[in-house]
Amino acid sequence: MELSEAYQFGMIIAMGAAFITFLGFAREKRDLHRLVISDMVAGITLVIVAIVGTDLAECLILPTLVVSVAEVLAIAEILIHKEELKLREEGVIISTPNYSPLGIEVFQSSSIIVALILIIYGAILTGFTGGAVAGVGMVYYLLTRWDGKITKDFWDGISSVSGIAWTLWLVGFLLFFIVPEFWLFALFLSGGGLVVKVATKFGLIGIEGRDSMRGES
Amino acid sequence: MLEGIGGEILGVIRFGDIVPYITPFTLSMFILALTLTVLLALAKPENQILMVFGKDKYSLIKPTIEEMKFRRFMVIVCGLALSGAMITGDLFNFTLFVTLVGITNIGIIAAVRRPYVLEAAFQYGLICTLASLPLFGAAAIVLGTAGTLSLHELETLSVLPMAKILLAFGVAGETGIAPFYAAKAEVFRAPGAPYILMVHLSAIMVVIRTAEILLLL
Repeated sequence: MELSEAYQFGMIIAMGAAFITFLGFAREKRDLHRLVISDMVAGITLVIVAIVGTDLAECLILPTLVVSVAEVLAIAEILIHKEELKLREEGVIISTPNYSPLGIEVFQSSSIIVALILIIYGAILTGFTGGAVAGVGMVYYLLTRWDGKITKDFWDGISSVSGIAWTLWLVGFLLFFIVPEFWLFALFLSGGGLVVKVATKFGLIGIEGRDSMRGES
Repeated sequence: MLEGIGGEILGVIRFGDIVPYITPFTLSMFILALTLTVLLALAKPENQILMVFGKDKYSLIKPTIEEMKFRRFMVIVCGLALSGAMITGDLFNFTLFVTLVGITNIGIIAAVRRPYVLEAAFQYGLICTLASLPLFGAAAIVLGTAGTLSLHELETLSVLPMAKILLAFGVAGETGIAPFYAAKAEVFRAPGAPYILMVHLSAIMVVIRTAEILLLL
């Protein structure tokens, strides 16, 4: 079992960082700060997985990231509810925060062709990267020019399209294993599914961002 | 001496790098986890009765329907993650399933809107997030030193003792057993008997599977 020097060096640094973070966690008393420190621990976990540096390790980074984000989100939500309950018991009335519109000038004057280029380029790329590029194009358009209102049906419809595209991606992925002869079909199925899925998700995020930026709920 | 700790291998599914294998041990644990999930999903939730100290009185805590629905959903997800952890033949998948069990355990108790339960859930969640570092760290070290994550192949390879220690620590933190039990103890004051049982059961079963993996490594 011969380990490379770089791996050993990286592990020593990561373990040192982990030790410092745990020490900080043990000393910190306030809940919010401990939550932030636990998020930093999740970051060091990613570093430890990434140090391995093989193709397989690269695949393992995404699940690790998703799991740590899910954990941090869950406990952040619990912290909010906990503090809210505490305040309610003390009789404090909690008001929802008001946002005033940002009114950024460049949003009205920017050229729309950029969005078009991004969407076309994303469609050519396909896959996760293509979805992200096309999604940025959609976000760009929705943030700057689109003035329509989203109804609940519209939102649900877009989410459904996203969900169905995601299952196409899964089916394509399964076909690789079950019938490898149809690899080209499977590739297009999964690539196309993923581009639609990521782009629609980005679009929904874009609408949310536009509304909160304009001070609408 | 410790060869074939789970019994004789009944079958191996060659599916790329991940090699799921079935032994009488994993199979019986898998069936047990699924059966318990079905039983708990069908069980009627209890109403908690608290005796008033020093008086001939009691108070009845009736959880709301929405709260119970959410908790039952979380129990089902937890049961599925648990059965996945029981049957998987990949060390990284095992750690992912254990983390998922941890998150769903927080979900089971977080629906209870009582300050002391939420406080305990928050502390348990922090420990869960911190424990993901040794847990994923162990899997990454095994991958970095042995070059594979398949438990079937790891049986014949040797791994660093540090990886085993980290894995044990990670599982202990994630399921909230002995050294970290203080974070979880308050949780069991939450009303809703059949769902709280899942928190116990998942911890016990994950620990048993971890013992098998630690002996096998």
